[in-house]
Amino acid sequence: MLIKQLAITTTPKYSFPQPTIDTSLPQRFIELSIHSLKHAQNQPFQLNQQFFQQNSSEEIQTTRTTLQPIPLKPRLKETMVAAVDTSSIKIGETTKGMVIAVRGATIWKHKRHYRYMRFGPFIFHVTEENKKQVYNALQRTYLNSPHEHNHNGSPSLLQMPTRIASLLERWQQTMLSKTVNNGLILFDGSLTSGINDTPTQRIKEILDNARKKQNVVLAFSKMTTLRFNGYLITDIPVKHKPPYLFKITGLKPKPPIILLGDVYVAKLTKGNYAFRLDIDKQVLTEQKIEALEKLLGNDLFSQSYPETLRLAHILCTFTANEVIAMQHFITRKYNLKIINRPDMHKLLFGPFGKGETCS
Amino acid sequence: MKLYKKEGNIVQILSFPNETVEKGDYLLIEDGDIGKGLIVQVIDVQFANIPGILEELLRSLPDGGELIQGEDFDPLEIAPHITYIQDARLLRCKIRATMNNESLSPNSSWLPSRSQSSIKKLPIPTLLKMAKTTGKLPIVLGGTKDSMLLTIDASSVDGRLNIVTGKKETGKSHLSKLLMLNLIRYGAIVVVFDLNGEYTSLGMTSDGKRNAYHNKIHVLAPSQNFKVLLKQLHLHVLLSILIHALHLPGTSAREFRTIWRTLKQKDNLTLHELGEAIRNSRCNHHVRDALFSRYYALLNSRFFTDNVAEAMLLKESLLKAKNQGGAIIINLRNTSSIDRQIVVEYVLGKLVELLTSWKLKAVFLFAEEAHLYLRETYWDDIVTRMRHLGIFTTFITNQPNTIRENIYRQADNIFLFNFTNERDLEAVSRAARVDAETVKSIATDLPPRHCLVLGKVVKDFPMVVKVKALDIKTMGETRLFFKDMN
Repeated sequence: MLIKQLAITTTPKYSFPQPTIDTSLPQRFIELSIHSLKHAQNQPFQLNQQFFQQNSSEEIQTTRTTLQPIPLKPRLKETMVAAVDTSSIKIGETTKGMVIAVRGATIWKHKRHYRYMRFGPFIFHVTEENKKQVYNALQRTYLNSPHEHNHNGSPSLLQMPTRIASLLERWQQTMLSKTVNNGLILFDGSLTSGINDTPTQRIKEILDNARKKQNVVLAFSKMTTLRFNGYLITDIPVKHKPPYLFKITGLKPKPPIILLGDVYVAKLTKGNYAFRLDIDKQVLTEQKIEALEKLLGNDLFSQSYPETLRLAHILCTFTANEVIAMQHFITRKYNLKIINRPDMHKLLFGPFGKGETCS
Repeated sequence: MKLYKKEGNIVQILSFPNETVEKGDYLLIEDGDIGKGLIVQVIDVQFANIPGILEELLRSLPDGGELIQGEDFDPLEIAPHITYIQDARLLRCKIRATMNNESLSPNSSWLPSRSQSSIKKLPIPTLLKMAKTTGKLPIVLGGTKDSMLLTIDASSVDGRLNIVTGKKETGKSHLSKLLMLNLIRYGAIVVVFDLNGEYTSLGMTSDGKRNAYHNKIHVLAPSQNFKVLLKQLHLHVLLSILIHALHLPGTSAREFRTIWRTLKQKDNLTLHELGEAIRNSRCNHHVRDALFSRYYALLNSRFFTDNVAEAMLLKESLLKAKNQGGAIIINLRNTSSIDRQIVVEYVLGKLVELLTSWKLKAVFLFAEEAHLYLRETYWDDIVTRMRHLGIFTTFITNQPNTIRENIYRQADNIFLFNFTNERDLEAVSRAARVDAETVKSIATDLPPRHCLVLGKVVKDFPMVVKVKALDIKTMGETRLFFKDMN
C-alpha cells in the first residue's frame, strides 16, 4: 500500500518520504531555492502574476485511425489510482531575472478516500547568469549522475518555470512508479519523449518501474494537436455510447520524438468531452483495456476526466492568494523591494493597451 | 494595518491576523508629514476580498464535502504566509474626529497619506482624556474591552435628555441604577417611576444589609405609604388628573371647578364633602354622572385620603432630598393602569409646582416604560417646557418604538444595549446624535451588560462599555415556575 510505503518521519522543519524514496531531488530543490533567493536579496522586485502554460510542440503526423470503438465496462475490483501533476508560476521580476515558484502534487485514491502529498512551493530566483547552474544542478541530481548533461543546453529564462516543474514532475512520477503496486498511475500529458523536458531514457525507466510493480501508466492530455482528416482526434465523431476508446494508429513522430505509449481517444462519460489517452506501449492490449475499465470502476469521472488527476491539478495550481503570500514571503524574508514597472502597452496605447499578459 | 479606501466618512483599513481589532475600537491614522491624525472607529470587521480565496476554499473540500487528507511538504514554510493573507481583514471605520496638536475637531475634510500614514489602536482613556469627557463629578460606568475604565462626568447628564434602551435582560435597569446612585452621591434629587418595583431595594446591599444610600432612598407605594389629602392638591393638578388620566369632558370639568372652589372657600376639601357636593350639584344629570364616575375612580385608587395621619407630603420628601441628595422611588408595581396615570399626573404636577416656585433647583426623572403611564402631551412637555423648568428625564425602555421620534431627535445621550431586531434599531437610529450604521453594526453584537454609549457624555465618541456591577439587592426578577425544580 502506498500509504505504508510513504512512511513519514516528521522533523521539526521538513517531512520527507522515507526510506524507499530517493529524496535527493527535493533536497536539491530546497538548497537551490534558498541559494537563488539569497542572491536576490535587497533587489527591486516587480510584481507579476502571469501564468505559464505548458505548450507541447509535438510534431507528429497522423495517417490512420481504426475508428473502431472499444466499448468499456467498469471493473469494480479495488485498485489504487494515483496521479501526478505540477504547476509553475512567475511571481515577479527582478532587475536581473525573475522569481518563479514550482509545486507538485501526488494524489491517490484508496478505499474511496483521496489522499495527497504536495511538494512545494519551491521558489527560485532565476537569472541569465544562474539559470544554467540551477537547471543543470537539478537535472544532475534527478538523473543521479554527475556526468549526464542536457545536450540541448540550458533552457531560456522564459522556459525555466516549466522546465523546473517538469523535473519535479518526473521525480514524482518516478516515486509513484516505484511505490505503487497493482495500481493505475495517471500522468498529465502524453507519453511522448525526446523533447527537452521529456528525456526518453527517463520516461522509459518510469514505465519499466511501473510495469515491474504491475502498474499501468495512463497519460491524459487535456489538449492535443493531433489531427485526422483535418479534425482534431478528440473531435472525430463516433457513433457509440460511452464509455469507449478508439486507437489512433499510424503515428509517425519526427525524430528525436518517440512515442512510448499507444495513443487512444477516450470518451469515458456522456457529453462532448474526449481526451487523448496514451497507454504504455509495452503493456498488452487486454491489460490496457482492463486498466481503463478498472479506472472507470475505481475513480469518479466528470466530463470524461478522472477525479484523481483533476485533484492533482487543482492541488498543485497556485491561486492568486498563494501568489500574494509568496510575494509577501520573499519581500519579508529576502527584503526584495517591490517596484511598479510601467506597463508599456498601457503607457503607449492607453485604453487600447490591454496589458502585456494579454498581448 | 494599512489605509485602503475612503468613501464619504467611511474609511476602510486592511488589518492582518496578528493585529487584534474589534468592532467599537478606535484607531488613529497618523500622517506624520502633515502632523495630523484621523480618529476613526471600527464599525465592522470583514474578511478582505483576497483574489483566489474561493478557489482556495473549494479545493480543500473536494472529497464529498470532507476535508481531503494529505501532507504538505512546504520547505520554505509558505503556508503561514498563505493563512496570513487569507485571514486578512477589512475594517470598516467611521471617521469621528481629526487630531491636531492634541486637540480634537470634528473636521474630516482632509485625507491622510495611504502609503505614509501609520495606523495604531487608540486606547479609550487616551481618547477620553483628549475629548475631555471627565470632570469634577466622575461616574465610572464600567470597563472597556481593553480593561480600561470608562468614566463620564455627572455634569454631562445634567440638563440632558437621556434614553436607556435595549432588549429584555440586557442590563438597562442596572445602568439606570448606577447613574441614579452616582447622581445621588453628588447631591442630586432623583425621582423614579418604578414600574416593576425594581428600584425599591437600592438602599440595600446584595446580602440585605443597609448600604451608604439607605437613608437617601425613599420608596413611595401609592395607596400604601403614599397618599395625599385633597387639601394638598392644587386645582390644576386635580383637573389634569381628571382630564388627562380620567378623560373628563370639558363641560364636566367646568362644573367640577365650581364645586372645588365652593368647597375650598368653605375650607371643606375632603373626599366625603366632594362626593356630597357632586351629589347635591344642580347640574345636568349627565354631567353629574360623569363627575361621579371620576369621583369613584379617585376614591377607588385609595391614593387620596381624608386622614391627615395617613397622608404623606411628597414636598417634604423632595425637600429632604434637596439637602443631601436622594431618590424618591414611586413604586407603581401593584398599581392599575388608571391609578398609575393618576399618580404620575400628581407627581409631575407637584414637581412643576416646586420647580416653578424655585423650591427645587432641578430633578432627575427616571421613567421606566413611560408609554404605559405618560399621557400624549407630556412627551413634548418633557423635552421642551419641563426641561427648562429643571426636569431632566431619562427614559428606560425595551420597546424603542414606544418613544416618539421627537424625543429621539432631541436626546442628548443614548445608552444602547443589545438589539437584534432591525426595526428596534431603526427606531433608535432616528436620534440626531447617532449614525444609523454605527448603531446597527455595533448594537447587534453587544453581549449582555454591554452598552454602547452615545452622545454628549462621551463627547460624541461612541463607546462600548461593560457596565460595572453594583452591590445592591436585586429586585424585579422574573417570577419563574420551574425555579425551585432546577
